[in-house]
Amino acid sequence: MLKRDEWLPLARKLDWDYSYVSEKDVFPEVASGRPWLPHKEWKNWDEPYRTSYTEYVVNQHAKDASVYAVRDAVGRLSDFQRLASPWLNALKLHAAALPLAEFAATVGNLRAGRFGRDSAWRTMATFGALDELRHTQIPLMVMHELVRWDPQFDWTHKFYHSDDWVAIAARHFFDELLTAADAIELAVGTNFVFETGFTNLQFVGLSALADQVGDHMFEKMVTSIQTDEARHAQIGQAVLENVIKHDRKYAQYLLDKWFWRSWLLFAIVTGFSMDYFTPLEKRSCSFKEFMEEWIVDQYLRSLQELGMEKPWYWDTFLESLELYHHMVYISAYTYRSTVWFNFVVPSPEERAWLRDRYPKHWDQIDAAWDRVIDRWRASKPGDEASVHGQAMVTFCDLCQLVLCGGTPSRNTATTLDYGGRKYIFCSEPCLWIFGREPERYSGHKELVKRVLSAEAPAALPELLTRYFRLTPETWGKDAYGGDYPWLQRPAAGEIG
Amino acid sequence: MPIPLYGFLEGDTILLLILADEQDTVRSLGERLQEAAAIRVARREDLQVVYRNRVLDPELTVREAGLEPLERFDVLGKKEG
Repeated sequence: MLKRDEWLPLARKLDWDYSYVSEKDVFPEVASGRPWLPHKEWKNWDEPYRTSYTEYVVNQHAKDASVYAVRDAVGRLSDFQRLASPWLNALKLHAAALPLAEFAATVGNLRAGRFGRDSAWRTMATFGALDELRHTQIPLMVMHELVRWDPQFDWTHKFYHSDDWVAIAARHFFDELLTAADAIELAVGTNFVFETGFTNLQFVGLSALADQVGDHMFEKMVTSIQTDEARHAQIGQAVLENVIKHDRKYAQYLLDKWFWRSWLLFAIVTGFSMDYFTPLEKRSCSFKEFMEEWIVDQYLRSLQELGMEKPWYWDTFLESLELYHHMVYISAYTYRSTVWFNFVVPSPEERAWLRDRYPKHWDQIDAAWDRVIDRWRASKPGDEASVHGQAMVTFCDLCQLVLCGGTPSRNTATTLDYGGRKYIFCSEPCLWIFGREPERYSGHKELVKRVLSAEAPAALPELLTRYFRLTPETWGKDAYGGDYPWLQRPAAGEIG
Repeated sequence: MPIPLYGFLEGDTILLLILADEQDTVRSLGERLQEAAAIRVARREDLQVVYRNRVLDPELTVREAGLEPLERFDVLGKKEG
């Protein structure tokens, strides 16, 4: 009987020389990625987990049993009903963004499971595909129970099937990163940048907060997912090292592109959750502090170890760390009916906390909150329409997110003429990514251009219901209907 | 035919889309952006419309000022001096 270490190479290193077809036909660049290298350049590919299928099945079975046990103990409807109202919106945001993106990751991993350039890589990617199926199914299962209580949880499944502006942006991101990426870009963009670089935000930061707020089901779900991610994320560095060796400039481009794109996504999903949806008394640090400790330092260290440069836009990134998610949050608050979760106005204590954590620009954001609060003060509780924007908001032609780059003094949106069409970008890095691969991006229409070409309705009620697929019941509202204990309204007779 | 323009009002957190008429004045364009952003930005009187780094004469029409569809204009506070 062979020992494990003797047997594993037999099971994982299965490549052979082709005689009836060329290697390039078996692994075309369009699916395998570039730089295209003969297999001899990949034959030493390895990663530290070196899992066998038997081990995989045994481990996954134990993990699933553990998730089911936690669900039975603390994942029932009544457990969620006890959670703080703002936190439930962090849950709705994640519940929608997560599961079907994980399913797109299944597709991406299956492509790598076929077109990855070494059989050990393909084996790991196949396990990765099975992992991602699990990450699709667990949140769908957990959230399904909640739909009968709160229809906004129905967006766990519905989100990616809608043309809500956030769904357009998320699809644009995940389709490129996962569904359409070749095996090399998937490994660098997903396994290295997204999973190694960013998901600590979810798996360390947010799961700790979930524990603090008493959401033990969410905590268990993400920590269980994390154990899978930690394994298949190892594909990234092993691929990246070889890309760096043969085409350093391209490696740097992939790193810089996916760091920026991932940053924008996490700034919204995690930034909202940490700095606005977590009750103040449960916050241990701000989103920015968490980013600095868990993402910025670690990512720079990883780049240094690989001999790579930090992204050229690093100063822009550090500046956006101060402000971007705050700019998006208050903008989205004033257009909350366009999404499937509710928002809260930060209380005076929360604003003081945010000022303390974000001293550089908070004053400018705070002035906008003063305006929103004045509107609520002049309106009756529940009068959502009086505290809601009416003009059409605008979107970036690259990331598809709202044009909230820069600061309230200087918005960084930039226009571009390309191929007889006008484009607009929220930031220099988004413009730069578009400019590197214009043929990849130029055919896609952001929401404003869909409205202008009559593909989407211009009137807000029709846009929300016919295009975004929201209903009065599910569209976002103020979680408290503007009825905050700290918001002093004038006496009834004084309201105009 | 309305001209779609991206407008940024100083103090705001987002760019907004304004559908302007060729015959609208630059002044009324600035006013409309202020109105559209009023939920987040307090009204100011000392504002000017800037397009391609040029301060526009408020009495010009959108057409005379040369504003092109899907371009950005800014409504900014007047600088001292």
